[in-house]
Parts: sequence; C-alpha cells; structure tokens
Amino acid sequence: MGGDALTFLDWAIVALRVALPVLLLPLFVVPLTWLERRGAAFIQDRPGPNRVGPFGLVQPIADMIKMFFKEAITPTSADRFLYLLAPAIAVFAALSTFAVVPYGSIIHVAGREIPMIGADLSIGILYIFAITSLSVYAIVLAGWASNSKFSLMGGIRSSAQIISYELAMTTAAAGVILASSSFRLSDVIAMQQRTWLGVIPQWNVIPQFFGFVVFFISAFAETNRLPFDLPEAEAELVAGYHTEYSAMRFGAFQMAEYVNVMVVSAITTTLYFGGWSLPGFHPQGVLGALASLLIFMAKSFFFVCVFIWVRWTLPRFRYDQLMKIGWKALLPLALANLLWIAALEIWRMRA
Amino acid sequence: MTAGRVIFDLAAAAAIVFSGLMVVGRNPVRSVLSLVVAFFALAVCFVLLLAPFIAALQVIVYAGAILVLFLFVLMLLNVGREQPAKTGHPIQTVLGSAAVLVFAGLLLGMFRSSGARIPTPADPVAPSVLGDPAALARLLYSDYLLHFEAISILLLAALVGAFVLARRESAS
Repeated sequence: MGGDALTFLDWAIVALRVALPVLLLPLFVVPLTWLERRGAAFIQDRPGPNRVGPFGLVQPIADMIKMFFKEAITPTSADRFLYLLAPAIAVFAALSTFAVVPYGSIIHVAGREIPMIGADLSIGILYIFAITSLSVYAIVLAGWASNSKFSLMGGIRSSAQIISYELAMTTAAAGVILASSSFRLSDVIAMQQRTWLGVIPQWNVIPQFFGFVVFFISAFAETNRLPFDLPEAEAELVAGYHTEYSAMRFGAFQMAEYVNVMVVSAITTTLYFGGWSLPGFHPQGVLGALASLLIFMAKSFFFVCVFIWVRWTLPRFRYDQLMKIGWKALLPLALANLLWIAALEIWRMRA
Repeated sequence: MTAGRVIFDLAAAAAIVFSGLMVVGRNPVRSVLSLVVAFFALAVCFVLLLAPFIAALQVIVYAGAILVLFLFVLMLLNVGREQPAKTGHPIQTVLGSAAVLVFAGLLLGMFRSSGARIPTPADPVAPSVLGDPAALARLLYSDYLLHFEAISILLLAALVGAFVLARRESAS
C-alpha cells in the first residue's frame, strides 16, 4: 500500500481486478451447463439437448428463464432465515475463493503495473482453504433448515465427507507450499516458470504427482461431484440437501456447484500446472498478458472437461468406501508426498 | 477515525454480540452459528491487527473444522430446543454477575495500562512477525521450539486419549 495516496483510478483498477472474474464466473456457468449435458449425452451415446437453437446452444437460457419464474416454495416447518441463508452462503463461498487466484501475468499500461489477480495475499493458499471450509455450512444449513429427513441425511453425510477430504486436500497442497516456500500464489507460479534442460517445465505435477492425484480426487469430494456426490445421491436421498429447494434457490446451489468446478480447476492449474505460464513464454505488453490469460483459461478448461468426463463415467461410491478412501488411502498418500517433498527440498538446499 | 478503525470496531462489536447470542440462545444449532459469526468477526480483527496468518488459521481451524464437527454432532443427535434449567440457586446469579463485573474491570484496566491500539503498516512497534508467515515459522522453530514441541506432545496425548476412550471394547 506504500505511502502514495490512492487516486480514483487506482481504486477503479482494484475494483475491476476483483469484480471482473467474479462477474464472469457466473456467466461461464451458462455454457458450462450446456457442455455438461452435451458431454453426458455424447458419453452415453444419445443426442442430448438439441432442439433450442443450433446444437441446443440456447437451452441453458431457456432453463435459466424457467428457474427464475418458477414458484419458490418454502416448507412450512423450515427454519425460514437459515433456509434462505444457505444458498446465499453457497454462492458467496464459491465466488470469493477465486479472489486470490492469479488469472494472468502483469499488464503494463501507461506506467502502471496491473497484476491480473484479485488480491495477491501473503496467505493466498490458506485463504482458499478458509473459504472452502466455510462452504460446508451452506450444505449443512440447507439440510438442517429444510426440516426434512432426506435433506438432513444429505447434510450430515456432507459434513463428514468434507471434513475427511479437506484434510487430505490440505496435506497435498502443503507439498506445494513447501516446494515454493510461500503461501502466495504468484510465488507458486513464479517457481513453476523455471525449466529443466530448457524444455521440460518445472511444474509441481512432475515431482509431486501423487500430491496432485490426492488433491484432484479430494477436489471431486469437495465439490460434491460424482463419484463423491453422496450428499445428494438421488437414488437414496431424492436430491439430498437441496430436496426442499425450488426455483432460483435451487438454481443458486446449482450455480455454486458449477462455479466451484471452475474455481477448483483454476486452483489445480495454478498449484500443479504452472498457472498462466508456459515454458519459454515470457509475456510482454498487453498482447502477452492477454495470451497468458488465454493459456490460463485453456488449462483450466481442460480440468473442467475432466470433471464432466469423470462424472458420466464412474459410478457412485458407497458411504463406507468413501470414508475408507479418504482416511486410509488419500491421507497416507498425501503424507508420503509431503515427506518426499521435504526430503527433496533438504537435498536441494544441501546441493 | 480511519476506515480500518471503523471496520475493526464493527467487527469487535459483532464478535461480542454474537458471542452473547451464543450463550443466551435456546436453539443449539443457532448457537453454533452465532459462534461461527463471532469467530469470523475475530478473524477480521486479526487481519486489521496485521496478522493475516492467524486470521486464516482462525477461520480454517475454528469456523471450518471444530464448529462443523459441533454441528455434525448436534444434527446426528437431533438436539431440539434447550429447556431452561429447573435446578439452580439465586446465589448463582449473584455470584456469576459479580465474577463477570470483576473480570471486565480487570480486562479494562489491563488494556488502559498497556495502551492497546491498532497498529499501522508504518508503525515501528507493529508486530510484523505475526504478519509474515515465514518470520512466524522461524520464531516458532527457534526461540519457542520447546513450547512448540510441548504443545505438540500435549495434542498428541489428547488424540491418543480420545482414541482410547472412543474405542470399542474388543471381545477378550
């Protein structure tokens, strides 16, 4: 923050840096729902939505209009305040996680340096975990406040699931923190810009492959996506924690899920795949900055596609299997990864 | 008053109010949620005291893990509204109120004598160590290593103890 007084323009730039991704992410949800339904249809060898507009592209708009104009029903025995608060927390947590993720390099315009990141906090990774740990309240509260057995079961399952997988996820990410010796996400990317032999990028995924695997699997559990969507398992729990929600309140949960998928993909890209960087790519000028933005989006888009692909390929786990995988497979693997990275760092310091 | 001071006062007030609501509330789930808000407000205070690392830990550990566990247990046991206690003696109210007053007086006196105030980044006495995770870690693993290890052992003992207590008796 320095000694210089902030001008109006500085404030505007900061506001834009924060607001732009937050406004764009919900917009990206629209094509994403289309992609998910068409992807599902492709995997299951059926046409999917193809009636509204070319290739069914306008279908999400029609769905959105439907959601906005349906009747919003509140169960009579619900805890009204918490019932309405829950979807708001879901959207808040999903959108505010992105604030510390760098989505591009630095733009130099008119003597100003504008880093393409909401806020480059010194505790960036911890901030992400703090906000994601709050997102569980949305599901738990929705389950409890609806005053319905199916919702409550979904809420209870979810709290157990998220606590279990958060541990593995955090331990896996600790490997990245150790390797870059910083919580700051721009430092994490800067470290990954180096190369081995000039061609192989020093992305964290190479030395920490198992850390990446644990992180990515846990990400599925944290976003409640198949094969870990037990909180809403439709075959047993109707729709789990959002059984009693209708219209746009249900839409809010749906939107939060898709935003979470995008944010988790962006974080995976940043922690393990070099973020907006590519080996030998040194962005210069506005065009270079835009190119870095595109690289970041392309990498994140790849992981979004993996999310869709996995959802329609794997069956759901049983609850005891879910707990067993979390505690007996992922957590020990994450701890082993952490030890391995620690040994690597000591060796690097000695050399 | 700077903007930081205003936000700090608001957050501190929120922390006190919601802590009070937690105690007074009759609905256990709402009490837990009041405590979540209080912890979040405390985290905001930590940020303004230039200790973002502690703020993050506050949210991750307390709001994100411990209170979720509380909620989990409350929901699993399906605890309803709490009934007002029937037993109890009027002397408890009197003694309790007196203890609160004495404690508040002590706290106030301590703050006044120590001249507690919000630090600014330019402040020479600002606790910069708290703001920088690396500096904090260096301090923890050098000057305070013994304390750090002692707490680790204490936590480990608690963990093992909880495990022994919760474990089912094996058929022997």
